Amino acid sequence: MSGLLENFWVLLALKVAIIAAVVPAVSLVFIFAELKISAHMQSRIGPYFAGGRWGWAQPLADGLKFIQKEDLVPDDADRPVFKFAPMVVLMSTLAVFVIVPFSPKLVVRDLDLGVFYALAAGSFGTIGVLMAGWSSANKYSLIGGLRAGAQLIAYELPLVLAVVGVVIQAGTMSFNGIVAAQAAPVFTIGEFAIHLPYLFQGQVIGFVIFIIAMLAELNRTPFDMPIAESELVMGYLTEYSGLRFTMFFLAEYAGMFSMSAIAATLFLGGWYLPGLSSGALEVLGPVILMAKVSLLVFVIIWFRWTFPRLREDQLQSIAWRWLIPLALLNIVGTAIAKVVL
Amino acid sequence: MIDNRLAAIHASDVSVSVELETPEMTLNLGPQHPSTHGVLRLVAKVDGEMITSVEPVIGYMHRGYEKLAEVRTYPQITALVNRIDWVSGFANEIPFMVAVERLMGIEAPPRAQYIRLILTEMARISSHLVFLSSYPLELGAATPLMHALRERERVLDLIEGVTGGRFHPNFNRIGGVKPAAGGGSGQKKVLQDLPAGFLADTRKAMDEVDDVCDDMVNLVLGNEIFVKRTRGVGIIPKDRGMEFGVSGPNLRASGVKFDLRKSDAYLPYANFEFDIPTGANGDCLDRYWVRMEEIRQATRIVRQAIDGLPGGDLQAKVPRIIKVPAGEVYVRAENPKGEMGYHVVSEGGRGPYRLKIRSASFSNISVLPWLLVGQLVPDIIAVLGSLDFVLGDVDR
Amino acid sequence: MNPSEAAEHFAGLVGAGRFSSDFGTAKVFVPRERWVEAHRTLKPHLPFFSWLSAIDWSNERAVGEPAESPVEERYEVLSRLGDVTEGNAVILSTDVPKDAPSLPTLVGVYGGANWHERESAEMFGIVFEGHPNTAHLYLPDGFEGHPLRKTFPLLSREVKPWPGTVDVEGMPGETNTEAGDGEPEAEA
Repeated sequence: MSGLLENFWVLLALKVAIIAAVVPAVSLVFIFAELKISAHMQSRIGPYFAGGRWGWAQPLADGLKFIQKEDLVPDDADRPVFKFAPMVVLMSTLAVFVIVPFSPKLVVRDLDLGVFYALAAGSFGTIGVLMAGWSSANKYSLIGGLRAGAQLIAYELPLVLAVVGVVIQAGTMSFNGIVAAQAAPVFTIGEFAIHLPYLFQGQVIGFVIFIIAMLAELNRTPFDMPIAESELVMGYLTEYSGLRFTMFFLAEYAGMFSMSAIAATLFLGGWYLPGLSSGALEVLGPVILMAKVSLLVFVIIWFRWTFPRLREDQLQSIAWRWLIPLALLNIVGTAIAKVVL
Repeated sequence: MIDNRLAAIHASDVSVSVELETPEMTLNLGPQHPSTHGVLRLVAKVDGEMITSVEPVIGYMHRGYEKLAEVRTYPQITALVNRIDWVSGFANEIPFMVAVERLMGIEAPPRAQYIRLILTEMARISSHLVFLSSYPLELGAATPLMHALRERERVLDLIEGVTGGRFHPNFNRIGGVKPAAGGGSGQKKVLQDLPAGFLADTRKAMDEVDDVCDDMVNLVLGNEIFVKRTRGVGIIPKDRGMEFGVSGPNLRASGVKFDLRKSDAYLPYANFEFDIPTGANGDCLDRYWVRMEEIRQATRIVRQAIDGLPGGDLQAKVPRIIKVPAGEVYVRAENPKGEMGYHVVSEGGRGPYRLKIRSASFSNISVLPWLLVGQLVPDIIAVLGSLDFVLGDVDR
Repeated sequence: MNPSEAAEHFAGLVGAGRFSSDFGTAKVFVPRERWVEAHRTLKPHLPFFSWLSAIDWSNERAVGEPAESPVEERYEVLSRLGDVTEGNAVILSTDVPKDAPSLPTLVGVYGGANWHERESAEMFGIVFEGHPNTAHLYLPDGFEGHPLRKTFPLLSREVKPWPGTVDVEGMPGETNTEAGDGEPEAEA
């Protein structure tokens, strides 16, 4: 048995299977959380029927409903591209999980260029969005897709620059390396070592920029212009139905999961919690990470049900006039601190 | 050869630049579209996201009320007119009733006038609450909708308690208001005309409406993104607005301090103390703010009216078969959407010879082709929503 | 100004001899050739353009009650102007003959007249000379006839009588004008 687990390909297949099962399941939980949290924010009850208690089966019921629906393809659509687009989006979000460490050992592949890979894989989904927008043969879809493209170009930059601060501070681009760097004590008071995540080690600006750029990457309110129901009907999703719509839908929540996991790892210490032994971290690591992810997901949901959406030009102006200069300042500051301290 | 041409270009003051040629695209918004509040269709020519021209197409909901009114008796028309702007159905009945009463030379008794006034102001509150809640939704914020609609439901319940209808009260009678059930023919006249506890409940509801206005200030007006989306967007200058017949809160947002409730005595508004809120810039933000303040003024009026509600009859003496003397009258009223008026032409029969309905939304959106040029696609929605129109009020 | 003063004042401004203020509605009658000029004169005083519409004065009627005494056959075009300070307002009225129903457009004076004139044009068949857009406003393309003309029948009424006829009152344009027989309930 252990011999089998030593085999690279068997192990890889096992890990991929786990990711492919766990991520959609967690996404369903997030969908349910969004239903309930938004309901309570709006003094509603939310789903309460499906599944009995709290209506917990509502996302499953929705999923079943979507699967039963007819898979419509518009007449003028570019059929192969139209059908392929949702897979690209879903795959790109799933691919990010390859490098997310759930515990010191529980990671599909701890790449040396982990940060680089995560950002690249995450932004790959926008190509799927562009494909969907272009191939739908619908003006609303086209505008939605192009908005998503413009948004990606504007926000990929602050996203990367925000991470650079962390990378400088940790001195590595490996996710597990970054977590390990945060696990190292910052300073000690006598015997008592103080451990701080990077958020509290001066990366506040980086964290805020990362969260804002992350919302833009995820097309969540206040940056949901590519979908913008009230203007573009449903943006690039307008022509999708059934299973393919479900893929986009699932990808949105899986994307929330993956981006929150990256943010939690880079800025909040990932699976590490001070005061636990390394043995305990092996076991509790995934729980700790999920708690941090849930916190971030809650914030994302909170934003969505509080803010209106910005206008496309305002979004661009925020990115180019505020976030990018701030991120550059952050890098300079971090670098100076790194050298001086 | 080439050098010569270059020299020529340098010599002349011609600047050479390559303009990116972007073809215009026709974007068809509606008649089925999530943001157009019904069946308004906008045929917009867009260059990228910039609008170069826009042509509203209306008439998908044209029900021909002006023609239908010609084959109906005056009392029957009541049922038609409260379907014009269904968001504030009660308010639509008032100017028509007053017009007919003026032609007949009668006046509703004071108690009936006060009840009309209370319900008109409650219709205004419910209409403005719909606007306060749905406008942020169009800009992407879903939560204010639920909070404001909850209070609107309270107000509608109270209206329903008096009239029996949430949207289409059909409560006014020529010369007064409908007596409560049981107070009609053959039986002993019942003094109870408003449902028991109505006044106390209304007072409580008014407090809750004021509270939700405070919530909206925190949730919507206090939101930087909302302000960014609406400030300076869709500015209607004063003179342009008047020329197009833009009226009501939309005109007041442009800084015109004019309210038909103060100038036209169609209901006893002179007995009440209230202010006319006006905006300064005439942009979407001002239109939102003005409506919110109007709700507060309306709750003020309702409270005063409850305090001063006189007793007495609900109905003036009218002949059983209503025949209206020949003549022409135009009566206008300050409705939630703006100036609503009826031009009634009578030849002395039981139905009008001609009924011209002046509805506020029709004129309010006629300014759109002028207003939207040069705006961005997202601003179409911001501007459309801020005008607060109802398609029934546009198409009649 | 009360309505009668307003009618007199604005009639004086546009130099019109006929005006009325019955039922509190100030109305000034303007000759057809001075229609646009009258509006231009009044615009500085009454900047608010409320509405424009028409009345079909007709003896031949497909809807409503038959004429008791003959009326003068014509279209009467009305436009309502107001101010936004004191609430003064006036209705300008002009007569358009039925054989040549045309009137110069007001779009150059009040931009808001655009849609109102389009509506009147399709509903009454009045031609507004110089109007920038003559497409139908409410009616579908290819609609024949002018619905608000009195000669235009209300088809639903032709097909099926109004259920209200069993009620207390007779309907306008129907024969049981002596209503009041056999009504179900009497007023107390």
